Amino acid sequence: MSELIEADDLALLTSGFEAAMAEAPGPGEADQSLYDLGWAELLDAAPAQGAATAFSALGRSNSAASLLDDVVANALGIAVSLDTCVVFPSPHKATAPAQRRGDTVVIEGLVSARLEMANTAVLAVGNGEGAVATTVDTALLHVSAAKGVDPGHAYRRLSMEIAADALTPLATRGTWEAAVAAAQVALAHQLMGGARWMLAEARQHAIDRVQFSRPVASFQAIRHKLAESLVQFEGAASVAQGCLHDPDPLLAALAKSLAGQAALTTATNAQQVLAGIGFTAEHQFHRWMKRTLVIDTLFGSANSLPAEIGHNLLSEGSAPRLIQL
Amino acid sequence: MDTATFRRELEAWLDANAEELAPPYEGAGSMDEQMAHYSRVKRALYDADFGRYGWPESVNGLGGSPLLRAIVGEEINLRGLADPSPWTMIEVLAPTVIDFARPEIAARLVPPFIRGDEMWCQGFSEPDAGSDLASLTCRAAKTEDGWVVSGQKIWTSFIQYAQRCVLLVRTGEPGSAHRGITALLVDVDSPGITFSPIETMHGRHDFAEVYYDEVFVPNERLIGEENGGWQVAMDILPYERSTTFWHRGALLHRRFSDLVAEVAALGDRSDTAAKALGQAFQSLVAFRSRSRDTQHRLAGGQQLGVETSIDKILITSAELELFEAARDLLGGVVEFDDDLDAAMWRTDYLYSKAAPIYGGTAEIQRNIVARRLLDLGPES
Repeated sequence: MSELIEADDLALLTSGFEAAMAEAPGPGEADQSLYDLGWAELLDAAPAQGAATAFSALGRSNSAASLLDDVVANALGIAVSLDTCVVFPSPHKATAPAQRRGDTVVIEGLVSARLEMANTAVLAVGNGEGAVATTVDTALLHVSAAKGVDPGHAYRRLSMEIAADALTPLATRGTWEAAVAAAQVALAHQLMGGARWMLAEARQHAIDRVQFSRPVASFQAIRHKLAESLVQFEGAASVAQGCLHDPDPLLAALAKSLAGQAALTTATNAQQVLAGIGFTAEHQFHRWMKRTLVIDTLFGSANSLPAEIGHNLLSEGSAPRLIQL
Repeated sequence: MDTATFRRELEAWLDANAEELAPPYEGAGSMDEQMAHYSRVKRALYDADFGRYGWPESVNGLGGSPLLRAIVGEEINLRGLADPSPWTMIEVLAPTVIDFARPEIAARLVPPFIRGDEMWCQGFSEPDAGSDLASLTCRAAKTEDGWVVSGQKIWTSFIQYAQRCVLLVRTGEPGSAHRGITALLVDVDSPGITFSPIETMHGRHDFAEVYYDEVFVPNERLIGEENGGWQVAMDILPYERSTTFWHRGALLHRRFSDLVAEVAALGDRSDTAAKALGQAFQSLVAFRSRSRDTQHRLAGGQQLGVETSIDKILITSAELELFEAARDLLGGVVEFDDDLDAAMWRTDYLYSKAAPIYGGTAEIQRNIVARRLLDLGPES
């Protein structure tokens, strides 16, 4: 692992990122301004820590920036650039988005808004055990027009067949498994950033909102919902943080699953505490809630990952002892 | 000594002495058998020095980080060599007694406790002071050379094996709440102490009701200040939730791994089974990760506090999920079978129901998180 960067430098970068994320209106502009601030260099110098920092900020700010392409490309050992995008696995899955069938390749995946800027897409094609990376001209990719629940982030489905000879094999230094792990940890940090924002909104609302002549924060039913969210947040955040020092793919999958669960629980509890206003388009809550739904499905969800992890445990016939003192 | 070297040497020693350290009984054993074996393991560890690391020299320890104590208990629990419950009393009570008791008292009484020669118990709860601990009424009247204690305690674990008890008593006016509580270190064989066991629903006599009828406790057995017992109790809580939890987490990990092996042997490869196992595992890992952070904060000399309520909620949830998964996936062994393996699953399943009750209920923990960590203001 690369040397960890100094805390002061990181704090400076983080505040720069957050400012850029807050200012840039669309995905393209956001990506460009983060590149201008040194995102690519940070990812190169400290991949895990850099991604954690940027994705926490993404989660908190709900920015439209498409940085996941860079995290996956970097983990594969490909030079990151605004000209490169990545085809991600289909919702709830962490397996390669493409399968070869004779002379054609069937693609069932997702792409980010980076696709519109990029000329080259990295496409992982499953080969039984893992996957091999290929590249394909983005002009050949026909993305679904459906924008879904969260148009701001602009992840869209890519569902098509393509001639196998349109793909160029790509020699990569990193494995698909390592790329999946890097993506899962980054997304876990994004989910935690979003959960933190939602919990803070709900907490403030509970303190400000008066019913029965007292703040609703004084009612135990509300306190326990918020407490439960914080507990799940802290458990998941600790695992996501632990991944910075431990590249174990199982730990990464657990971090993603726990973060999804914590963020979904927080979304549910925060919305209940916000009550009526949290169901309106007027309050900003819905933007974070919808983003949580989308991010949860990327590279395995809180619903799909536990079964996947459980199947692996059953194949081994025992549980590995992760995390040492 | 660094933790990696310590762990390697400990593992080698445990391997070399595996036969001597293995429980002589099958299955969980009776409580008498468990206690006798616990003492044997503790003494062996102490005499081989592993049990002395992490304790200060003032109590005949060999110094070093408390992480070393966490590692010893972890390895013992992963191998299933001794029941963790009596061990818990050491990790809960000894650090606070070392900090608050008179040095000569700690120097004399703590070493046999740590070596497993003695058992101690904890007299906090009362019939009318459970979650509301500060309302306790067991009274200590001051005399010239000590205290005279009268009243009742409940849920006192291991008193039938214990030589000493860390007791919270009312020394202030009735209604003085947390301000009028004092902590005393009482000899269990003092005249005036009687107890009657409470049989738990998992068929053990873990606890007792304890009656104090004009029990004399000399001045030198004061722990902390007069009327300073609340501070002593609050000092104990974070210890209860650091090293002890790490040990219990290791036991839960072993039982989880047993469960995976048994479900695999049953040939159940369904998504339902896989998902239940995956979820139980992720809860265990979330707890373990959080607890590792806590162990390192403790070892770094930081004062642990209310944030350990999060550790408590996480380990409770993990324990409940694990044994619910066992009940769901093992095809009725909890309900219908009596063989040794089934008896252990049943005991563990039933005992897991105590997890959200003891050491501060799940609701009290969430109240603490809401008030102290989320800063939500007072409850209505």
